[in-house]
Amino acid sequence: MTKNSDPMNMSSNEAEEALAAIQTIAKKTRQSIASGGTYITLIVTGVVWLVGFTCTQFLRQEIVGYIWAGLSILGGTVGTILGFRMGKRVRSPVTGPTVKRVILFWLLLALYGITFIAIARPTDGKQATLFVILFIMLGQLAMGLLFSFSSVWWALPISVLALAGYLLFPSIFYLWMAILGGGGMIALGLYIRFRW
Amino acid sequence: MAELNETIHQPVRLRIMAALVTLEPTDEVDFTYLRDLLEVTDGNLGAHLRKLEEAGYITVNKVFVERKPHTYVSATAAGRRVFQEHVAALESILKRK
Repeated sequence: MTKNSDPMNMSSNEAEEALAAIQTIAKKTRQSIASGGTYITLIVTGVVWLVGFTCTQFLRQEIVGYIWAGLSILGGTVGTILGFRMGKRVRSPVTGPTVKRVILFWLLLALYGITFIAIARPTDGKQATLFVILFIMLGQLAMGLLFSFSSVWWALPISVLALAGYLLFPSIFYLWMAILGGGGMIALGLYIRFRW
Repeated sequence: MAELNETIHQPVRLRIMAALVTLEPTDEVDFTYLRDLLEVTDGNLGAHLRKLEEAGYITVNKVFVERKPHTYVSATAAGRRVFQEHVAALESILKRK
């Protein structure tokens, strides 16, 4: 950017460069903040899905339950720690109450999800899995719409992907979700981190 | 008519203010995050932040997080107003073309 020591003699070219610099840094700031939490969520969730669904496809049902429980705890812990570390970059006095509301929202969504599944009585594990995925994606969409519109869009293709796998390829549904769902989320997270 | 601001006019300070006003008014940003975002050195950023703080355009908040010192920076209401006026002045120069 051209530097003019006296702003009162600024030319239109210099003004244009200054405005472009402002727009560039504002865009970079917005993207940096928006992508910070998004790529961590995507990579952690993607790894959990990749391992969990692959195990579900190939291992015995009684073992799979333990694997999912372990993965959920591990994913939740890693996501929280990394999210907390990222959160230190930008602080807000309104963060505390917001975090409480977010936790309450997810708890209520889980409660509604469990109630829904209990009433609907899914015929098999695949149907129950699809319900869980759709509820999680619904929650992600709500979070994105409330906090950062740029992080909304990825929940929609994942929902479509899950529905397509369930309806079109039921025999390899879990593998489908592992590779396309989990792998896709990891790839997208890495893309946002390094290329966005 | 809006006027250009001599303090904000400097390119690094202009970019600092652009980053800070992009945040929500209640948010503050970590020094190292701002340094990496703007791709400047610690000393350079520190010097420009002092100028902006002296002018009353930003607030520098030094706190301990998990026993480690952190410096958080945010734009003041005056800083936001002056920055918007500076942007309006830049736009009016372009319109004169």
